[in-house]
Amino acid sequence: MSTLTKFSAIPYTGPAPTNRKPYVPADVAVHDARGAVLAEKLQQSAMQQETGQDLPTFIVDKAAIVNVLTALRDHPELRFTMPLDCWGVDYPRREKRFDVLYQLYSLQNNERIRLKVMLAEDESIDSGINVFKGLDWFEREVWDMFGIRFDGHPNLRRILTHEAFQGHPLRKDYDPAQRWLLTEKDVAQLTPVIDDRFKDVDTDFERVTLNLGPSHPATHGTLRIVVTLDGETIIGADQEIGYLHRCFEKMSETHTYQQVIPFTDRLNYCSAIINNVGYCLTVEKLLGIEAPARAQHVRLMLSEFMRIADHLVCIGTNLVDMGALTNFWYLFQPREEIYGLIEACCGARLLPSYLRIGGLAVDVPTDFLQKAQRLVDMIPKYIDDVEKLVDRNKVFLDRVVGVAPISPEDAIAYGFTGPCLRACGVPFDVRKSNPYIGYETYDFDIPIAEGGDTYARYLVRMEEMRQSLRILQQAIDRGLPEGPVMVDNPYVALPPKEKVYNEMESLIYHFKLIMHGIQPPVGEAYFQVEGGNGELGFHVVSDGTKNPYRVRVRPPCFAIYQAFGKMITGQTIPDAVAALGSLNIIAGELDH
Amino acid sequence: MAIERVSPGVVKVVPNKLSVSERLYIPQVLAGMVLTLRHLVKNLFNMKGLPTISYPEVKRVYSERFRGRHILTTREDGTTRCVACFMCSTACPAECITIEAGEDERTREKFPQRYEIDLLRCIFCGYCVDACPEDAIYMTRDYEMAIDTRARSVVGLRDLVVPPNFPVEPMGWRPYYGSIEKHGTAGGTGVGQPKREAPFADDAPLNPDLYRGA
Repeated sequence: MSTLTKFSAIPYTGPAPTNRKPYVPADVAVHDARGAVLAEKLQQSAMQQETGQDLPTFIVDKAAIVNVLTALRDHPELRFTMPLDCWGVDYPRREKRFDVLYQLYSLQNNERIRLKVMLAEDESIDSGINVFKGLDWFEREVWDMFGIRFDGHPNLRRILTHEAFQGHPLRKDYDPAQRWLLTEKDVAQLTPVIDDRFKDVDTDFERVTLNLGPSHPATHGTLRIVVTLDGETIIGADQEIGYLHRCFEKMSETHTYQQVIPFTDRLNYCSAIINNVGYCLTVEKLLGIEAPARAQHVRLMLSEFMRIADHLVCIGTNLVDMGALTNFWYLFQPREEIYGLIEACCGARLLPSYLRIGGLAVDVPTDFLQKAQRLVDMIPKYIDDVEKLVDRNKVFLDRVVGVAPISPEDAIAYGFTGPCLRACGVPFDVRKSNPYIGYETYDFDIPIAEGGDTYARYLVRMEEMRQSLRILQQAIDRGLPEGPVMVDNPYVALPPKEKVYNEMESLIYHFKLIMHGIQPPVGEAYFQVEGGNGELGFHVVSDGTKNPYRVRVRPPCFAIYQAFGKMITGQTIPDAVAALGSLNIIAGELDH
Repeated sequence: MAIERVSPGVVKVVPNKLSVSERLYIPQVLAGMVLTLRHLVKNLFNMKGLPTISYPEVKRVYSERFRGRHILTTREDGTTRCVACFMCSTACPAECITIEAGEDERTREKFPQRYEIDLLRCIFCGYCVDACPEDAIYMTRDYEMAIDTRARSVVGLRDLVVPPNFPVEPMGWRPYYGSIEKHGTAGGTGVGQPKREAPFADDAPLNPDLYRGA
């Protein structure tokens, strides 16, 4: 059975797309006006504003990118200090073939900016790694996926694919049916760079390089860490990822918009519904539609349940790594019950695929709120038990206090988001800064902590679960809004089955939608939600056909994990294991 | 941990200050053991309320929406409902359904000559059920699909097609959970018709109220 026949090597030769309308974002005037103000303030001749986008967007000359990034970071009023993302898009028919996009965030003004650099096939671009440390892995990913060279990048190796891989997979002319075999002799021999602090120190110990992973019980996934040890101290560390790379972004390009939803489940599989929410909201933004109130309410409630489940897994496994097995059982019991609720809604536990673009697959069961209330009443008991066990336990505190700390400045420069950033004392949460699906109407607090160490991350996660329970209690008290759970739009939602069975018109819409898919207007949209680990962003480019032209996911732990080597330098291996668990690296999300 | 308010919408989690006895390790270790022992005693007297089950003797009951192994439904005259329209294989994100269409010489109707699902490729998302315009493919609550060879992972018509009036009771993900009847063509989905004995004895709900769907 050949299952690869559906893949087509681009350039696209199929029927012409029927939807040629350009995408006009809802708040385009606001962003264009803000873009003009930004251009005024920055006074950079190399920046040209691109209007009509869903964010203030600028096209930057490739020679000036480092200057522009520096100017944005250092401008006293703007302070775009956080590099959120850097990714590429390929337009093979254009004269300058590639777009390299940067997205920066200003904590001071709570605003985002997008920069776009256009490059021809043989052109390279200056690396921004000296401006933002966090661009390191993102630039490596663009190199790996598109073959765009970043001059001045100290370590421009492949990151998601392996060493024997030929070509650059996200280029449109790459044929995805090719297979590349990695043999043992091609595997990269990593030698970590020894930290400056330890370079000239002469000790009695022999320096040893040690491999942790990719199949190691303490790495919770296929992560490979190579550490150089001096005695017991780690003096240099390097991480290698990509063992679970499933080409999420390339696969999305050969499937329809609805078909991408099951793939998003597999990003952060501990909180799959949040990924569904992020992707669906992005495409809905592109389509200019909004799901009905009932669907949004369910999305919010399940997102919060998933956030709790995510934190339960993180804390539970982290404590197991430190030898505290009891907590694992106490924390996994409520997680099991949460999955029971998800299963009652959609019939699957870990990978629900419950959402659809435009709403939900089916309505929730009639006793949904009672079940949710039972969970909300039950979960605090388990969290309290764990708190009683470890919170004042010196054995635990000795393992976590001061372990793998990161300063707020470093965390921001690396692009940290979510609990790991809040553990450094930076109150950034997408639910507050850019509220979506009604979070602005709920009363909840963002927990922060001081120190940025493993203990602070534990404290923040524990409190966040309680805040999520607060949101859930309010959501239950408000009750489910009456009405449908899917938009009434035959170009987006499948018609009800009774109509499909009995009416010709609906049957035609049903066939059209399955065969030709949803066809959003031509354009691009970015939307972000607060995932279990931080900002989970989706950037979707549509060319009017049934398949997304490009789906970019901004996985929060990608930015976080690149700092891991720096964080554990100077610590010991057991500390590294404790720190890794507290960062909650999910390989599915990390490796796309 | 203590909670301090920093600004509206932001709270700070402050670590505990440990007392002298807490710093001596042993009292806190003992306190933790008391907590776990209390759980142990409580569980000993409440064995029925334990969250674990003795699989495979006892099976977990899933909701009526459970997305398990597929079946192909049949009309009352015993022919397959499927008309080989390829909607399910088009909607399938994992591309695990292979159909070959044939034509019934008598009625001139299309039917599947070959209908195969590769259960190793299948991701059990339920898109095939949503896509079917003929009420022909359902998912059951059957989740035990262990196989010993790769070849057995591909299930064909022989494994998928069920007899007419197959009861709705052991089913999982299906359009509208049996609340809507298909008009027009012969037969029904089993709704409102006399129920047969469940073919999967394991699917008989242990405690129907616990994990029921709608």
